[in-house]
Amino acid sequence: MKLISNQLQLRKTYSRFLNLLLPMTSAVMTWKVLMLISSCGTPIVVIVSGGLIHLNRGDVFFISNYTDDSINVGDTVVFKVEGRDIPIVHRVIKLHETSDGEVKLLTKGDENLVDDRGLYPPGQDWLRGEDIVGKVQGYIQYVG
Amino acid sequence: IMADGDKKKGNLPFGADEKPIKVDKWDGSAVKNALDDVAKKILTDKDCGYGYVENFVLMDMRLLICTVSVAFALAALVYDYLRPFPDSRPVLILCVVSYFILMGVLTVYTTFKEKNVILVAHQKDQAGVDPDNIWTVSSSLRRFDDMYTLHISYEDGQSNQSREASVVKSVASWFDEEGTLLMDLFTQEVKNIHSSLLAEKKEK
Repeated sequence: MKLISNQLQLRKTYSRFLNLLLPMTSAVMTWKVLMLISSCGTPIVVIVSGGLIHLNRGDVFFISNYTDDSINVGDTVVFKVEGRDIPIVHRVIKLHETSDGEVKLLTKGDENLVDDRGLYPPGQDWLRGEDIVGKVQGYIQYVG
Repeated sequence: IMADGDKKKGNLPFGADEKPIKVDKWDGSAVKNALDDVAKKILTDKDCGYGYVENFVLMDMRLLICTVSVAFALAALVYDYLRPFPDSRPVLILCVVSYFILMGVLTVYTTFKEKNVILVAHQKDQAGVDPDNIWTVSSSLRRFDDMYTLHISYEDGQSNQSREASVVKSVASWFDEEGTLLMDLFTQEVKNIHSSLLAEKKEK
């Protein structure tokens, strides 16, 4: 004689499965909320290598990508170039805006001697709007 | 020769053909589960219990809320993967809002509706005519505490009256030094509550 009926055993097993899933889904959904609030695909970024003054490996960045918040020279932005998966956090040093509203940016790491053109794919001299992941709003040091 | 009918119920020695239950007496969750399972079995087992029919609606409701929540989370994940942000924004908003509302509903449900209930069982009328009597068992054992509360409530199907009784005792009353459950003692405890609830009915 079993102590627990099959029906109950099934439910208990399913219940345990859900109890494992729920903390994970809550974490995922909280991340999605951050995405929605910041209007950005990856609202939090961790620095992997140095390149800016005052910023070191392990710093955690909060970024946003609002359409009405334009990027200016001097802003720190996070961008991605084709062929590289890791986003790069550098400063905007030049900015062009064409007559139809297209924006072109040139970035450079503060600590680097040259601008980032060497990082851009061959043939690309400027970053376009789509390459930008977001503008840095703030950061916490040494957490990542 | 076995006699037919309800006289057979509850007459077989409870747990006679089962191995004794042994738990780690310091593991509160194992102790509670052991006691809960025995209490449930006493009420629901057809051969050596009262044979009441377990009703899973309370538990199923919680499982449903959780399942729908997980479905929304998965939908958000999949959709965001297929159509990356910001195209996925409207769907994401829908999923996120639904998910967190459901989490709120879940919290309210488990806190106020499910509470400590471990069993809802229906006592069917023998003739099949009258509405069922409903037995609800809940129990609690706080962390690092040894006082186990067993609470049984009885709702009469016909009169809709309800009565309840509980016992609060240290788990040491039913477990020996090695953590073996003293089945007879605990069974008697449960049966006493059950009988007292039924007896009250006859007095009226």
